[in-house]
Amino acid sequence: MNKLKKQLLAGPYLVWIIGFILLPFLMIVYYAFTNADGGFTMEYLAAVLDANNRKALFLSLELGVICTVLCLLISYPLAMILNGMNIKNQSLVVFLFMLPMWMNFMLRILAWKLLLSKNGVINSFLSLFGFPGVYILNTPAAVVFGMVYDFLPFMLLPVYNSMTRIRKDWLEAAQDLGAGHLAIFFKIILPLTVSGIISGVVMVFVPSLTSFAISEVLGGGKVLLIGNIIEQDFMQGMQWNAGSGLSLVLMVFVIISMALMNLFDKEGEGTAIW
Amino acid sequence: MKNHLIDFIDISKSYDGNMVLDEFNLYVRENEFVTLLGPSGCGKTTTLRLLGGFETPDTGKILFDSEDITNMPPNERKLNTVFQKYSLFPHMTIAENIAFGLKIRKKSKSYINDKIKYALKLVNLEGFENRSTDSLSGGQQQRIAIARAIVNEPKVLLLDEPLGALDLKLRQNMQYELMRLKEELGITFLYVTHDQEEALTMSDTIVVMNQGYIQQIGTPEMIYNEPENAFVADFIGHSNIIDGIMIEDRLVEILGVRMPCVDEGFGTHTPVDVVIRPEDVELVKPEEGALSGEVVSLIFKGVHYELEVMANGYEWLVHTTEYVPVGSKVGIRVIPFNIQIMHKPESSDEKAVEIDE
Amino acid sequence: MVKKGVSRLYLALIFCFLYLPIAVLVVLSFNRSKSHVVWTGFTLDWYAECFRNQNIMSAFATTLEITFAAAVLSTIIGTLAAIGISAMKRRSRTIYLGATNIPLLNADIVTGISMMLLFVRFTNLGFVTVLIAHITFNIPYVILNVLPRLKQASRYTYEAALDLGAGPLYAFFKVTWPEILPGVFSGFLMAVTMSLDDFSITYFTKGAGINTLSTMLYAELRKGIRPELYALSTVLFFTVLLLLIAINLNSDKTPAPAAGKAVANKGAGLPDAPRPNGTAKQFVSSAKTRRAFYAKRAVCAVILVSLAVGSLAVLFSASPLISGGQTITVLNYGQYFDEDALRRFEEETGIRVNYEEYDDPEEMYTKYKAGAIDYDVICTSEYMIEKLIQEGEVLELDFSAIPNYAALDPNIIEMTSSYDPEHKYTVPYFYGTLGILYNTKLVDAEDVKSWDCLWNGKYAGSMIMTRSVRDAFAPALITLGYSINDTDKDHLLEALEILKDQNPDVSAYYVDETRDEMIAENAAIGVCYSGDAGEAMAENENLAYSIPEEGSNLWIDSWFMPKTCKNQEAVFRFLDYVCRDDVAQANFDYVYYTSPNRSVAAGMDAETRENEAVNPSEETIRRCEVFRALSDESAGLYNTLWQELISN
Repeated sequence: MNKLKKQLLAGPYLVWIIGFILLPFLMIVYYAFTNADGGFTMEYLAAVLDANNRKALFLSLELGVICTVLCLLISYPLAMILNGMNIKNQSLVVFLFMLPMWMNFMLRILAWKLLLSKNGVINSFLSLFGFPGVYILNTPAAVVFGMVYDFLPFMLLPVYNSMTRIRKDWLEAAQDLGAGHLAIFFKIILPLTVSGIISGVVMVFVPSLTSFAISEVLGGGKVLLIGNIIEQDFMQGMQWNAGSGLSLVLMVFVIISMALMNLFDKEGEGTAIW
Repeated sequence: MKNHLIDFIDISKSYDGNMVLDEFNLYVRENEFVTLLGPSGCGKTTTLRLLGGFETPDTGKILFDSEDITNMPPNERKLNTVFQKYSLFPHMTIAENIAFGLKIRKKSKSYINDKIKYALKLVNLEGFENRSTDSLSGGQQQRIAIARAIVNEPKVLLLDEPLGALDLKLRQNMQYELMRLKEELGITFLYVTHDQEEALTMSDTIVVMNQGYIQQIGTPEMIYNEPENAFVADFIGHSNIIDGIMIEDRLVEILGVRMPCVDEGFGTHTPVDVVIRPEDVELVKPEEGALSGEVVSLIFKGVHYELEVMANGYEWLVHTTEYVPVGSKVGIRVIPFNIQIMHKPESSDEKAVEIDE
Repeated sequence: MVKKGVSRLYLALIFCFLYLPIAVLVVLSFNRSKSHVVWTGFTLDWYAECFRNQNIMSAFATTLEITFAAAVLSTIIGTLAAIGISAMKRRSRTIYLGATNIPLLNADIVTGISMMLLFVRFTNLGFVTVLIAHITFNIPYVILNVLPRLKQASRYTYEAALDLGAGPLYAFFKVTWPEILPGVFSGFLMAVTMSLDDFSITYFTKGAGINTLSTMLYAELRKGIRPELYALSTVLFFTVLLLLIAINLNSDKTPAPAAGKAVANKGAGLPDAPRPNGTAKQFVSSAKTRRAFYAKRAVCAVILVSLAVGSLAVLFSASPLISGGQTITVLNYGQYFDEDALRRFEEETGIRVNYEEYDDPEEMYTKYKAGAIDYDVICTSEYMIEKLIQEGEVLELDFSAIPNYAALDPNIIEMTSSYDPEHKYTVPYFYGTLGILYNTKLVDAEDVKSWDCLWNGKYAGSMIMTRSVRDAFAPALITLGYSINDTDKDHLLEALEILKDQNPDVSAYYVDETRDEMIAENAAIGVCYSGDAGEAMAENENLAYSIPEEGSNLWIDSWFMPKTCKNQEAVFRFLDYVCRDDVAQANFDYVYYTSPNRSVAAGMDAETRENEAVNPSEETIRRCEVFRALSDESAGLYNTLWQELISN
């Protein structure tokens, strides 16, 4: 096969890109800039500044940031401990920490609902010992719980992967050159895992910013995220133009993430491994 | 006599029940170039890692300048290591790599810059400050690793097979570089290698190790010319090592032939190992030699020919500058001074010889 | 030592965080009690229920079909694309890879919506649209797994093969192909994983009657939790566990990260890929890798075969009438039709039913108006039907084709006059009231005689409000002395103020979930429909239902035939079936609302007849008001006000 013929093999994919990536994107752009009668308008983009939308966007950003930070704070030490473990079946242990994510996304949320509800598992347990109950179901806190639970592996895996690429002799060299534990962490381990962290942050932040199912199930209809507004615009309100406008605004955040990813993660650490 | 800078005292170390070092004792003097030489698994790298602080011994202690440093963490020891795999930090430039130790010690910026310039000049890589580590060849990386270690002005530089990954030519060049550095810096080098030629070229003192025991300590000349046992002799060069019997002082019997030698004190009728270097074997006419035999192979080696001569049931390795065709009948003669008599090892696992100071 | 202890503790904590939820699901799957967490004895009933449940089984089958088809097709397209891309010059390669990144990094909701917009414009939503969407987001994973392998597959070995006389194709298949095969398999497995787990994109691109596990679960979760789902979770979890352990034991010797899941989103360097500067050691490890790979391939084959066989098996068992020919698409409220009765209809008539559900009338309206699915018959509330009749969307029924219509109570048919004055468009299905379901242990019966109990803060934090927008505004409007059909903006803003004040006291806004939450005693008061209340009271004797004296909403849900109907004759047979006495009875037993069928009313025992939740008295009906259609403008206003309330 010569090169030109080989390139033709990408043909079906090119058709696919145009038909199912580019065209759908243009549809969103079209709807976002037209009103119900088909005339040009900027009003739906500007609608993101409306009180309801703005509040929902800020809440989404807030929860997204909290969720991302929590995932990072949990994953990083976990990845370090897992990586440092000197046991035979390390791969099995790592696998155990990844396993829950193969459960269906919805079932994982269901489980948290059972745990957190007023007479749920956690509260029954607490009251058994006479502790006061925890009532966070149907609050943003519950939504954050669900998000962290759902998205944790997306942080853990890239961070862990980047950590496994740190050679032990680099750490020894640093120590040899006079670095204590803190210096080793901040000068060697942290900089070498930046790409993993960035991948993880992007992979957790984008879905948590745009999620609607988790807030729907764990928020009891009381937590309105930007994803919920878009979903309602399409599935209940018959307001496709408004929904498209908001989606286009969301794309801005996605593009920022892509840029970050390209800047830092040149080796593709956010990778999935089979 | 210069003072001891480093003392290993009765060090034992085992991994998973495998004894790597057993009652190991060694001292290193100031400003010495000491090489630990031995096959892989002999304990030489472990010795170096114990000194570097990356391992702690099971028993025994390590003194540095008479101070016990057995349990001191690596970052507090006044010595630096050049690692086998160079171990340059991939996320830093060359200059940042070199400055690493100095920044930890909070040196001033101008001091650090001067040091970087000085070190790069020392290793002949001026102007490489802002290059990234992966743009360098193996030899260059190696030299940066050395520069990174020496800017910290360690009293001892530990080198763990630093030239192992380089090709022959580069290795030879680097050997000279290292010797030059040693001269310029005037510090102690502790060098680990399994390459006997490297050890012979550079060292002041060679420590030959095998299976956790020291086999012989001495200058390169002593190690080469007077190996104390068959292991050392074999490891240091291709030798003819032949079972023999010490009939009496200055007379040894090998392959059924009695030959005069210069060694004394082995007792009478004692089994010994007899070492004769290939270049010490003289080929003469069949009737003039102590033994006679036939040339069975001949290889041209550039400066000499390498021959195998079958004589009295033993295949002798012989180096000679004369061309002797295969099939020729030759005689073998060795002058007494070149016959090296050694004790048989006491057990099969090559117990260490007594190290008498 | 201390440090080791701390890290052990940390691992244990995270482990609990990860597995506690799953453990709860597993334990509850064996619990006899239907309510949430009280252990009342061991049972395997829920497993039996789970496997009998057509809903779950067909969602399972659909999931397997979609996953399998999408993974295979995306692997083919993706592998070809990767080979093509690897032969490209730098610039076109960058463009291709950029395009590949879009579905990977884009928010799922945006990807889903964009595809929905496209599909709706050119075709109907259905199985194929979901499949296309899945292929779209799967391809990048395949490409990113195959590309690095292609890069590693040395050009020199390929050239060596050419040098030894192989033709280009032969050389490719003998030399290059074996080298990239592991990447192709990884890509395939990734695609399987991503397809299995996807929710958002499927949610927006699926058509009527098509549910994957994720979308089915989403619908179920909003209705309330059924113990069969615990059983389903347990089965899924252990299946996955076994499969993955099989994979991992086989590849035990590969570096640790190999254990990690195919999570995530970008790039693809394989950890077990042999790296340059190969030393002897690496050679050994790459031999091990190869062995692991063959083991993986075996497991892979098992997964493939079981996916294929499983999906076919479930497909056939789930739809015995697959070749029946006639199909109607039915749109109904959630949990509003006895599933067995629906199957019986299919068996009796040979007409296959695409059954689709929704939560509130506004959602129904959107689904219908979107035109993405051609519905044949729809059941919804009076005001929405009124609106659709006004818009000319409703077809007249031929009542001569629905003989069982005569079984309905003429008095009830008369109640539909507000929206169908000539009685030619609709067949009443159920009616009922909006009221307060309360727990007698926690609530004073006097309090719930007035809507005031919702606003006075007495039951703060223990109150469930309805999520149906107009039903939520109704109590507020009534309290203010306005009609529930008032559309005056100022009046609505006044009502909004009341609801806003109430918001902090409300523990959740639910529709169908209210019933389960009240049964589990997670709240003291729940504003809900009479039928939900009746069912809840049957499950928990502490519950009671009250229709406040100020009045409430009386609603009537009816069937109508929209303009999109393609098979009127089948719809008439369906409606006739719905009106039949035994079917009406079955549906009544299932949903517990008041049926217009006379034989159902006649068959009630005295206690049930007295129960206001099941059978509102004439006096109650007089107190209540029926919703009238809203103009688009008013409907939009309601929507905006509602969002303002929630985002408060």
